Amino acid sequence: MTLIDNLKQYAETSHLSKESQELFGEFISKGFPTIKDEEWKYTSLKKIISESYTLHYSANKNTFKDFEKYFLGFKNKIVFLDGKLVSSSNIKGVTISDYTSFKNLSNHSSLDFLNASLSKNGFTISVDENIQIEEPIEILFLNTTENIFSQYRNCISIGKNSNVKFIEQNKNVSDLNSLSNNFTQINCAENSNVEFNKIQNDTARSKLIDTLNVYQKSDSVCTVNTVIFGGLFIRNNLNFEQNGQNAESNMNGITLLTKNQFVDNHTFVDHKNANCRSNELYKGIYLDKSKGVFNGKIMVRKDSQKIDAFQANNSLLLNNDASINSKPQLEIYADDVKCSHGCTIGQLDSESLFYLRSRGVSLEEAKGLLTFAFASEAIQNISIAELRSLVQKTMSNKLNVDIEL
Amino acid sequence: MENKQQQEERLLEEVTSSEYKYGFTTNIESDTIPKGLSEDVVRLISKKKNEPDWMLEYRLKAYNVWLTMEEPDWANISYKKPNYQDIIYYAAPKTKPVLNSLDELDPEMKKTFDKLGISIDEQKRLANVAVDVVMDSVSVATTFKETLKEKGIIFCSISDAIKDYPDLVKKYLGTVVPNRDNFFSALNSAVFSDGSFCYIPKGVKCPMELSTYFRINESGTGQFERTLLIADEGSQVSYLEGCTAPMRDENQLHAAVVELIALDNADIKYSTVQNWYPGDKNGNGGVFNFVTKRGVCHNNAKISWTQVETGSAVTWKYPSCILKGDNSIGEFFSVAVTNNRQQADTGTKMIHLGKNTKSTIIAKGISAGKSDGNYRGLVKIVKGASNSRNFSQCDSLLMGDKCGSHTFPYIEVNNDSSQVEHEATTSKIGEDQLFYCNQRGIGTEEAIALIVNGYCKDVLNQLPMEFAVEAQKLLEISLEGSVG
Amino acid sequence: MLKIENLNANVESTPILKGIDLTVNAGEIHAIMGPNGSGKSTLSSVIAGKEDYEVIDGLMTFEGKDLSELDPEERANAGIFLSFQYPVEIPGISVANFIKTSVNAKRKSLGKDPVSASELLKLMREKMSLLGIKEGYISRNMNEGFSGGEKKRNEIFQMAMLSPKLAILDETDSGLDIDALRIVANGVNKLRNKDNATIVITHYQRLLEYIIPDYVHVLYDGKIIKSGDKSLALELEEKGYDWIVKDTK
Repeated sequence: MTLIDNLKQYAETSHLSKESQELFGEFISKGFPTIKDEEWKYTSLKKIISESYTLHYSANKNTFKDFEKYFLGFKNKIVFLDGKLVSSSNIKGVTISDYTSFKNLSNHSSLDFLNASLSKNGFTISVDENIQIEEPIEILFLNTTENIFSQYRNCISIGKNSNVKFIEQNKNVSDLNSLSNNFTQINCAENSNVEFNKIQNDTARSKLIDTLNVYQKSDSVCTVNTVIFGGLFIRNNLNFEQNGQNAESNMNGITLLTKNQFVDNHTFVDHKNANCRSNELYKGIYLDKSKGVFNGKIMVRKDSQKIDAFQANNSLLLNNDASINSKPQLEIYADDVKCSHGCTIGQLDSESLFYLRSRGVSLEEAKGLLTFAFASEAIQNISIAELRSLVQKTMSNKLNVDIEL
Repeated sequence: MENKQQQEERLLEEVTSSEYKYGFTTNIESDTIPKGLSEDVVRLISKKKNEPDWMLEYRLKAYNVWLTMEEPDWANISYKKPNYQDIIYYAAPKTKPVLNSLDELDPEMKKTFDKLGISIDEQKRLANVAVDVVMDSVSVATTFKETLKEKGIIFCSISDAIKDYPDLVKKYLGTVVPNRDNFFSALNSAVFSDGSFCYIPKGVKCPMELSTYFRINESGTGQFERTLLIADEGSQVSYLEGCTAPMRDENQLHAAVVELIALDNADIKYSTVQNWYPGDKNGNGGVFNFVTKRGVCHNNAKISWTQVETGSAVTWKYPSCILKGDNSIGEFFSVAVTNNRQQADTGTKMIHLGKNTKSTIIAKGISAGKSDGNYRGLVKIVKGASNSRNFSQCDSLLMGDKCGSHTFPYIEVNNDSSQVEHEATTSKIGEDQLFYCNQRGIGTEEAIALIVNGYCKDVLNQLPMEFAVEAQKLLEISLEGSVG
Repeated sequence: MLKIENLNANVESTPILKGIDLTVNAGEIHAIMGPNGSGKSTLSSVIAGKEDYEVIDGLMTFEGKDLSELDPEERANAGIFLSFQYPVEIPGISVANFIKTSVNAKRKSLGKDPVSASELLKLMREKMSLLGIKEGYISRNMNEGFSGGEKKRNEIFQMAMLSPKLAILDETDSGLDIDALRIVANGVNKLRNKDNATIVITHYQRLLEYIIPDYVHVLYDGKIIKSGDKSLALELEEKGYDWIVKDTK
């Protein structure tokens, strides 16, 4: 059996609503994307979907307390264990509940249909108006089931003038084979300020397809930081839609890959209104046989004047077996705009290496330090100090450099 | 007094309403065949041209491949796909003149050239340029043949080359752009009626610019010319091509194939000023320009493409370099102007296969009116292409709020010793620049001309002198009224 | 300490150094002067071991060790310090971190344990006050956004922290105003002792008013065409380089 058989079987046996059946039918008729699909040109799902998965979590007696070591240590927490919401903090002005049905689709991709039709797990978070939450809210999806195909479907709505930060992690509790197709939607009301951090540092056989859609009203600011260290296969779809003036969308990406890891970062900013901004900075470091894909699109619609959109994608290829495919795109239909993208692919600067070595630092250490330095511009954009130092620490461990002091 | 906004609108209006000045037809009797494409038509074309059997076979093979292919639709352009049975695939001036000098040229045709502003005589005197003129797919005049012959340089129509230099043609035709490369190249391989052929022998530096002018004249015809240029080891050549067509309210198809072969240490510079009829301001008529241009560089060789694209209703064109040999160099310099309802999807592919290969891409897009300009490019560095370098810069200038400008680069790097740098920007002409010019007494129209010219300078500088002047004029005309 | 014999070096197969002989002993200050393009910076880079330069012929020894067998970091740990003409910006690495890394690299080469953070900070403060460097400076990113003067001062600061045996100051005076020049020169002088040596590479005599050389060498077209004492520098200032070039021809 392959995944598609698993899915069909599951759909037949789980008494889907009529709407879900229709959505599932759409998925079946479209099928999984292939490399003939322009958006999947460099990313093949073929091998991943040729495996067989289970769509049922195995029963376990663990409680989330058994997995405390996975927590980052923040007071506000939302914890899912094998699909079930097992813990959520009481936060003033914030309502957290299990997934409630919402079916609206954003990009009509087949994976969207798949998630919308069969997903049963996830959360809804509503933040009232005028709420300022200093402490970030940590969201953790824990999995203990071998061969699981999981789909979370989440919705976050931030009220006017509110200010919230999130940190999200997917974690297998041991070296499990897993595939996730997650979908999260964030609605940012007027003048809200949201920071969403995705820490992707899962186990060596985990595979993740993650779609995050952000809808912004006027004067809102949303920042999404994606930090990638672990996992076998990751595809991130990050989409921003600006539905009001003076909105700001920020994206930072830090990717450090080793072995045979594969990561595809797909971003899309849709400037649908005037006087908006977007900033994007993705830094990738590719070691061993790892492969990276970057696809960043900036769209400026007709009459969306006075847009400042900036995009940069810088990659270091540090092994001859590593590779990167990059597609930075601009699609502009308004004239009074300032849009740019820059993309560099290369190695460490030999001048800088020599400078360090002339100060007595070994070649190996100099490389590590400069690699760390390469990523730090993007790391600096993470506003949560604890998270920033965690990322720095993970990175310096991976690169075997000492960055204390 | 008109305020600033009104002034800008008026300027824009002038820009968008500029007329195509090459839109005349020439009354030369021509020999055409019935509309439509079939195996018989392919045979007929080959027969009319007295071609050897191997050439007919080549054409038929291509035709059969073409039958299995579909017209591509991945480019960011939309147009009504031509009815390929409604096109005349062969039109030649009735009596093909055999000329020793241009003085023998049909006076009507000579008038055509004068109207085109080519003024072959003048160019001959002043610029030392050898010209091959292709009208409705047939080469009608090649100048300076004798002078070139002394150096062993062959410059003639491809039909003559098929007859006179079959070994060279057989060896290289279709090696860089194979029949099945794409829909339009297959079509071209089946029906091409003429084009230019050029061979520069080992170690020879071509003493003058070689130039071809293409013109579609006959109504309802397609133009399918084929260019094959071979620069043997250590040779050097600069080649220019220009194109125009009459104003007609139907769409005319132009599907050319250009193949360049730069053998070891050779250097080819290929410049194009493309000014096919772009259609009227409502988007009626105009040439569909679907062109495949590609060159292969052997060791230490260099190919440099320069293009100034101002014409055509729809352009689909990616002059490319296959950097096969070690230390080879590929360059692409492009200015693409779209106005009214023109659409252009153009760019380049740099395929790095050899070690220490270098490529440079400078692409400048200018969109005005209700047009759309796209840059689409590929930089591919394979694993074996160690120490390779690419630098790309793609800039877009938008004039008015009804046009679009898009950038679609693809970058693929597969080793840890190569470096790629890509930059792209989109903006409009800076108000501060305009103000600065105004303050120095330069009127807005002139200022825009000045700024656009400066913006394109890196590309225009690559053109041979006499072409640069023409290209500059063409830019002025394309954005006439306010922009120069 | 440093002995160079018949040094020939190329950049991308163009000969730049064409037979340099130079001996520098402990306690000495040597000035190397010469017009643009004479090979001054190449010489300093070759001594420090930059890989872009190809040593074709000749011998360089430092305290008896053949330099050609040593990597740049091994040369540095042996006690050679190059103050760069154009110090490199390294965004993302703080001055403090950079210095800690290099100090510990040196300690490691001597078989010592890494220095503790508090000890290092103490030492840094000491040297900073010596060079008139403000607090807060060490948490800035390495040379990023530094003015020309700040960059040069950062070089001397690192030199102070690493206490090299041989310091090569490559155009350390360029880009410095007179006050900064004085501070940097004072720093160099304070760090001077009978066991270390300095090579000052400069265009102008100005710096040599503050750092008094024992020897002055004129480098021209890849060769040392004249050597003398500090008066040679004054003579050069007055007459330019042409007269020596003519003399030697």
